[in-house]
Amino acid sequence: MFFLHNLERRVTLHPSYFGRNMHDLVTTKLVKDVEGTCAGDYYIIAIMDTFDVSEGRILPGSGLAEFTVGYRAVVWRPFKGEVVDAIAYSVNPHGFFAQAGPLRLFVSSHLMPDEIQYDANATPPQFTNNADMVIEPGTHVRVKIIGLRTEVGEMWAIGSINGDFLGCLQA
Amino acid sequence: MASSDPRSMGDSESEDDNFNPAPADLSDDEEAAKNARSPRKANPRTSSPALDDDGSDEEEESPVRNTGATKRPSRAASVVENDEDEDEDEDEEPAQNDDDEEEDEDDEDDVHGGHRRKRRRDRRTAFFDIEAEVDEEEDDEDERDGEEIEDFIDNAHPDDMVDTNRLNDDRRHRELDRRREMEASLDAEKQAEILRERYGKRAPTRGFGDTTVVPKRLLLPSVEDPSIWAVRCKEGKEREVVFSIMRRVEERLGTKNEVPVISAFERGGINSVMKGYIYVEAQRQNDIMITLDGIMNVYPRTKMVLVEIKDMPDLLRVTKTPSLEPGSWVRLRKPLKHAGDLAQVLDVTESGLEARVRFIPRLDYGVRDESIALSDAGKRKRPGVPGPRPPQRLFSEVEARKRHPRHIQGNPQTNTWTYMGDDFENGFQVKDIKIQQLDVKDVNPTLEEVTKFASGAEDGAENLDLKALASSLKDSNINVAYVPGDVIEVYAGEQRGVIGKATNVQGDIVTLQVLEGPLAGQSIEVPNKGLRKRFKAGDHVKVIGGSRFRDEVGMVVKINEDRVTLLTDQTNNEITVFSKDLREADDIGGQGSLGQYSLLDLVQLDPTTVGCIVKVDRESLVILDQHGETKQVMPSQITNKLPTRKTAVAADRNGSEIRLDDVVREYGGQQRQGKIIHIHRSFIFLHRNTTNENAGVFVTRAGNVNTVAAKGGRINAAGGGPDLTSMNPALKRNPTGGNMAAPKSFGPDRAINQTVTIRRGGYKGLLGIVKDATDTHCRVELHTKAKIITVPKADLSFRDKITGRPVDINSRGGRGGFGGGAGGGGGRGGFGGGDRDWSGGSRTPMASGGPERTPAWGAPKPSATARTPAWSRGADVSGARTPAWGADGSRTVNPYDGSRTSYGGATSYGGGSRTPAWSSGAKTPAPDGFGHGSKTPAYGGGDTWGSKTPAYGVSAPTPGASGDSWGYTPGPSHAFDAPTPGAGLGAPTPALNAPTPGAYSAPTPGAISAPTPAAWGGWGADAAPTPAAGAPTPAAGGYYGAPTPAGYGAPETPAASGPRYTDDD
Repeated sequence: MFFLHNLERRVTLHPSYFGRNMHDLVTTKLVKDVEGTCAGDYYIIAIMDTFDVSEGRILPGSGLAEFTVGYRAVVWRPFKGEVVDAIAYSVNPHGFFAQAGPLRLFVSSHLMPDEIQYDANATPPQFTNNADMVIEPGTHVRVKIIGLRTEVGEMWAIGSINGDFLGCLQA
Repeated sequence: MASSDPRSMGDSESEDDNFNPAPADLSDDEEAAKNARSPRKANPRTSSPALDDDGSDEEEESPVRNTGATKRPSRAASVVENDEDEDEDEDEEPAQNDDDEEEDEDDEDDVHGGHRRKRRRDRRTAFFDIEAEVDEEEDDEDERDGEEIEDFIDNAHPDDMVDTNRLNDDRRHRELDRRREMEASLDAEKQAEILRERYGKRAPTRGFGDTTVVPKRLLLPSVEDPSIWAVRCKEGKEREVVFSIMRRVEERLGTKNEVPVISAFERGGINSVMKGYIYVEAQRQNDIMITLDGIMNVYPRTKMVLVEIKDMPDLLRVTKTPSLEPGSWVRLRKPLKHAGDLAQVLDVTESGLEARVRFIPRLDYGVRDESIALSDAGKRKRPGVPGPRPPQRLFSEVEARKRHPRHIQGNPQTNTWTYMGDDFENGFQVKDIKIQQLDVKDVNPTLEEVTKFASGAEDGAENLDLKALASSLKDSNINVAYVPGDVIEVYAGEQRGVIGKATNVQGDIVTLQVLEGPLAGQSIEVPNKGLRKRFKAGDHVKVIGGSRFRDEVGMVVKINEDRVTLLTDQTNNEITVFSKDLREADDIGGQGSLGQYSLLDLVQLDPTTVGCIVKVDRESLVILDQHGETKQVMPSQITNKLPTRKTAVAADRNGSEIRLDDVVREYGGQQRQGKIIHIHRSFIFLHRNTTNENAGVFVTRAGNVNTVAAKGGRINAAGGGPDLTSMNPALKRNPTGGNMAAPKSFGPDRAINQTVTIRRGGYKGLLGIVKDATDTHCRVELHTKAKIITVPKADLSFRDKITGRPVDINSRGGRGGFGGGAGGGGGRGGFGGGDRDWSGGSRTPMASGGPERTPAWGAPKPSATARTPAWSRGADVSGARTPAWGADGSRTVNPYDGSRTSYGGATSYGGGSRTPAWSSGAKTPAPDGFGHGSKTPAYGGGDTWGSKTPAYGVSAPTPGASGDSWGYTPGPSHAFDAPTPGAGLGAPTPALNAPTPGAYSAPTPGAISAPTPAAWGGWGADAAPTPAAGAPTPAAGGYYGAPTPAGYGAPETPAASGPRYTDDD
């Protein structure tokens, strides 16, 4: 689910950049550092704006200036039970991997409807129910997240397509 | 056990319902008779009135206490009982376990060697009690031991008992023979009838017993009952002691000093916690002292422990013998030579007493003399001295024949041999071993051991029966540990279906806080027997316990009863384990490492082989080597671990630099794409997420990939901006330090024929044309007077002939003339510019190194920039390139000691510039440089040179400025500087430039370079500075060049330059 989230971050700036446009640099650096990263259990998609750049403080020792920047960002936090659209990118006999934006998902063959079977003979290999559902790399699928794992800088989810309206998205 | 005076039965309930009630009608004689062989005990508790009726039948089953108040000391008897009773009620069973039984048997053998066979029979038929209670009817019919005994007993009057023992023995034998005969004479049907009669009643009897309403807890011992003491004895002699007591009971039976104990038993055994003790039941402690007085190996005078009443039933609790199945793993205990060795069960005899196992023999084929006697029997005789035992090796027929050709026979076809009395199949020794000599619990076979068995197949194929292995491992951890917080489901028993969270665990009792259902919120206590842990799909769990997947961490994808399928974090494989082996996991990673090696590490296997760890098992690693082959190795086979070199670089197919974490794609082949995780010489190990194979790792040659994206966008992150946590490149150079002399240029001085104004001195402000020039001075023909004067170059300002605007003669634009002036003067005037340039120059190196930082990137059009800074410049500013060249020149100068002008001819460029570049750049940059360099010129040549320059010159500064600010980061740039300039920019350009000498004007570099070097010097490496210096210069020339010229005091330069150079060098 997407949220507009107020966040805060400390940005350091090398003294050689001290000057008039310091705040711009700080903002630039913030964007560079933060956008597109995974902050524990959510992804920071984009920074809307910064609303508060504190005055800088020199860090003893290094001489870098540290600014505390409050900013507003669009974040995406996947939840257990959330239904997301994803694109399959790898299919193997145990299931398939899909990517929902930055989030990688695995859908185990146990978590698919019974009629969907792995077909190793197809090229590329696919999961199919021999009817309208064919899941192969590149297929758009709608997946329900049933488990989430967060690591440093990464998230990882297990999904299920066992349910109404889940599975292949018809083009 | 000793029997005390028989008491009336039914006094009190026996502790266990298993105990047989004594038939009420038994006469003393009978009792006596029964007890003759087994010491009796009067046990008031034994008989429950309710059971009296069927006493005779039941007695078979409950040997422990007898109606006649006989309690048998013989374990055999009680064992039998156990066997039968197990079904009934485990909790209350008084009996001993099977193990004990087996051991008992052995012991008995020892003790009464002669009766072995009989004994066995007894056991088989669950006898003792029967005989004890046998009525007259039974007496005639059968010959069984009991009956013999009975005869014996009848005859034996207590008084002469002692004497008659021997006689009785004789008589018993005769009696037995007679019975046998008689039995044999009966026809089968009759026999069957008899048997049925004897045993057929059992079930009903038992049923009857069960239906009797006697709450079991009433059968438990109470304070009224005799106490049980644990008496210390010598370990291993427990049984002997008990038998001694029994003998003593017999001896003193009927005398004045009858043995006053009620029963005695032991629960010894190798693994028993109760070994070293015998347990004696008696009314008073003193009775025990009397009884045990003078018996060997028991120490009643040391501390004697009174067993608490509540612990009494536990003394007799049955421990179940684990069942053995073919294929499972055990450890040998008995042939001492093989003690502790792993063996695989091939078969279990029907009796369940022996198992046929195979194990790896330890043979020395008679190499040691001693070994001749190494048969198991020989070993057994001196158990304490196993001696050095031969290593485990598969049986070799050849070796066996060497020394003992006579002792070997067998069939080479089936590869089965008999050697020295032992059987060997397929190299394994095969042997029937008593189950009690096997360790069946906590076997925990290691993979190494098991592998030996697996590889025994002739074809070398590994046919590991993982299932059996898993089951062995599973058995080893029967007790599930629940910890508070576990979510638990009750799957058996009254509370079945209840789901709760454990709040407390004490022993076998788990307290649950019920989570669901009508009981929700309540706390209940349940025994942990019928519990299992409960998980939900998606839970993040860790495998604990004995499974071979121990320490894997993953997410649950499927649950089927107590089998849970999970997807491991590490390898994305699905594994199935028992829920009892799982625990909710907080941490991540899990089984990522084995010792110091962890997944995806790069390790050295031998001097020529390196590999990346793609799988970590409990005891082994799977490694993908540089040739793309996987192999399984033990950690011990790894020479060492190669540390990750963050700075490792390689060149891709296009000569672009690639480093760790870059994303590259294979060229040709499968076009696999992955992130670089290791660079080893020319091999790169890549990781991708799209496949599980080898944990997503594959290996290829560096020269076989194209860069897709460089980390941090070295290549395509044009908008990245400067690194704000490090030095601003724009300020990196020391502005006052730009003292480096201008490089000398070859060829005609650019200043010649330029229009100049004189900036100082007596002719200040006058306009003129340079007629001739040296490195430091120009001869200027003044417009105002027809006079030629000599002026230091630094005092000249070059002007456009027509417009009169200041121009930079160093720029490509071919403004002309400035030539020397630029060279020398550049130093000062150019400083401002120089600096920037510098940064520009610095970028250049960057470009080759880390493009993102290069100003070139930032400022101008990214597209152009894409490659070398040189490019960017080229695209934008014609001048820009020049500097690059300039840079080269400057270098050149250094090595050559400035004898020529760096700018001089194209030639000089080519030769000079490159040389240094190469040498310094030797490593990475070199290739890159080349690549770029070669391209650059092409570009430059086409676009910029000449015509555009002026325009550029003007515009240049601005971008330059911005570019500067972007600058590059000192760290990296530094590293790269040296190489880049040389290689990339310098070399190629000259060729092109050559024509445009004007543009090139040697001076520029000089001027610019001057400042730079200083800066560099500060930085560190000598080599580095030079090129660096060179680099900046060009920049200056390029961007700033235009503006600067005015500033350049031609004259100054020369002076400055000369010395400075030297310094730098």
